[in-house]
Amino acid sequence: MSSGESLELLDFVVDHLEVGIFGVDAGMRVVLWNRFMATHSGHSADKVLGHKLFELFPELPAKWLEKKIHNVFVLKNYAFTSWEQRPYLFRFRHSRPVTGGVDAMQQSCTFLPVKDCADDVQYVCVTLFDYTDTALFQQRLVRAIDELGREKEEQRRLIAKLEEAQGQLLQSEKLASIGQLAAGVAHEINNPVGFVHSNLGTLENYVRDLLRLAEACDETAANGATPAAILESVATLKREVDFTFMKDDIRCLLTESKEGLERVKKIVQDLKDFSHVDNKQEWQWTDLHKCLDSTLNVVANEIKYKAQVVKNYGALPQVECMPSQLNQVFMNLLVNAAHAIDKNGVITVSTGISERWAWIAVNDTGSGISAENLKRIFDPFFTTKPVGEGTGLGLSVSYSIIANHGGRIEVDSELGKGTTFRVYVPIEQTKAEAVASAA
Amino acid sequence: MLTQDQQEALQEIANIGMGQAGASIAQVFDQFVQLSIPRILILDADDMAGALAKLVDGGQITAVRQAFHSHMRGEAIVLYGEQRCNDLADLMGYDQKLDHVAEIELLLDVTNILVGACLGGIAEQLFIDIGFSAPSLMADKVPADALLRAEDVSWSSALLVEVNFRLEKRSFACHLVILMAEEEIRAMGDALDRFLEDCL
Repeated sequence: MSSGESLELLDFVVDHLEVGIFGVDAGMRVVLWNRFMATHSGHSADKVLGHKLFELFPELPAKWLEKKIHNVFVLKNYAFTSWEQRPYLFRFRHSRPVTGGVDAMQQSCTFLPVKDCADDVQYVCVTLFDYTDTALFQQRLVRAIDELGREKEEQRRLIAKLEEAQGQLLQSEKLASIGQLAAGVAHEINNPVGFVHSNLGTLENYVRDLLRLAEACDETAANGATPAAILESVATLKREVDFTFMKDDIRCLLTESKEGLERVKKIVQDLKDFSHVDNKQEWQWTDLHKCLDSTLNVVANEIKYKAQVVKNYGALPQVECMPSQLNQVFMNLLVNAAHAIDKNGVITVSTGISERWAWIAVNDTGSGISAENLKRIFDPFFTTKPVGEGTGLGLSVSYSIIANHGGRIEVDSELGKGTTFRVYVPIEQTKAEAVASAA
Repeated sequence: MLTQDQQEALQEIANIGMGQAGASIAQVFDQFVQLSIPRILILDADDMAGALAKLVDGGQITAVRQAFHSHMRGEAIVLYGEQRCNDLADLMGYDQKLDHVAEIELLLDVTNILVGACLGGIAEQLFIDIGFSAPSLMADKVPADALLRAEDVSWSSALLVEVNFRLEKRSFACHLVILMAEEEIRAMGDALDRFLEDCL
């Protein structure tokens, strides 16, 4: 190819590229104006060449652009503009006459120093690229990112709400189960209160008799009776009130009443332990056997007419847990075990450790759970109990309490034979869990 | 990575290059520019973030990056303090008060001028061609130590050339850092060898 031919080729390419190309000299006179510029500006090359750029296009930001081009002459170095900061140099209609979306062609420009052989800049050539598609795409991206941000915020809010709801659920399940127990507990309290009350009635009579005896002594002594006569009248009275029997009976009644009051005191204490009235949800090093015992006492009335409780406790160290929450789990498992048993059953409570876990197993000789139901027992609101008797939340709440402790619940059941629930909790909470709960 | 001779030659070239750069920049801003003597370091990627953070003493920094290519490849980063280069707006032909977008455009433009002048100066001494990509905003008002994390850096060591600018009559100062990866440092070593041979 001759040099003439290759110049012709170059001319053709410059003119037909889908890129705006124009050049100016140091006096800002246009020296190059390709077809892209002509088409989009509506000014053909022969009308533009040799004229001053800023006279042809008075809408251009003259001061800034002249400085920019001047700097290219001085520094002999490229300069750039980007559509992101300056959407366009020339206000051209964009290449999307139909589908639109922006008001003008988005342009990124490169200012290129054209040097002579003495390395001086003769002209500044500007290439103008159409970035409309990129800009539109970017707009969509920005919108999508904004949308994502909003969704994320919405999710964060929902999660917070869910957590709150979960907390309320936990609390209401606890209240519901305490409610269910109330009748049983009332009975447990009523029984000793009843016999203590009746004992007090008997004791009231005995005290009246004893006072009579004491007064009789005083009276006969005051009347100047002989010691023998006094003894005689006291003995008569003693026979009258059956003093020998009364003496024994008073001891019995007092012992029995004291025991009864102890029972009331104990059950009240267990209820307090169980529900942790202060409601502080704190990690504490806890004796799980104590928890189990007080829970067993609270639910005693639910169990005692149906099943015998066998305690098969192993050696357990102190366990880092939230005791009132674990009590709720134990109660749930024990009440379920009792409900599974029709009569004459056995509920075995076993404990032990396995590696870094403490486990507590509640086994019943009840009706068992069908394979189909077994899949759903931890689902919220799943219950096989008649309407009004079960909330369907017990096991689901238990599950989340244990999960919250970093533990797990396993269940093993055979229809007609019985069910074993085994709860594993870590003996010591890992740091992350402890930190999360402290926050 | 660079021999003693190569490093000394680079220092010399950088000194002359910056002198020329200072003269061109003075023409653009129409006033005297103070340039520090370039400081040349070869750093591990791990130390890079710390070295950059040390250049600016605390506060929020803004950084603009510009890639250069052809015989020398790498990235130049210009670090600006809280004031950025807003004080140069009128010198660059801006009339109105700068909005955020204009502020960024001005940053990109000033960066382009500084990087072009300094690297152009060095390339000229080495008789090599150099081209530039458009500059882009790398960090918009971030804490200095958040600028460059070791995991973002794809090479194990890099050449750092640091130059500080100050305009006498304006409250403007910035740091220019030239970063080149290992392979490119070797290529530059070859160019420096040729330069040394020509001098002899």
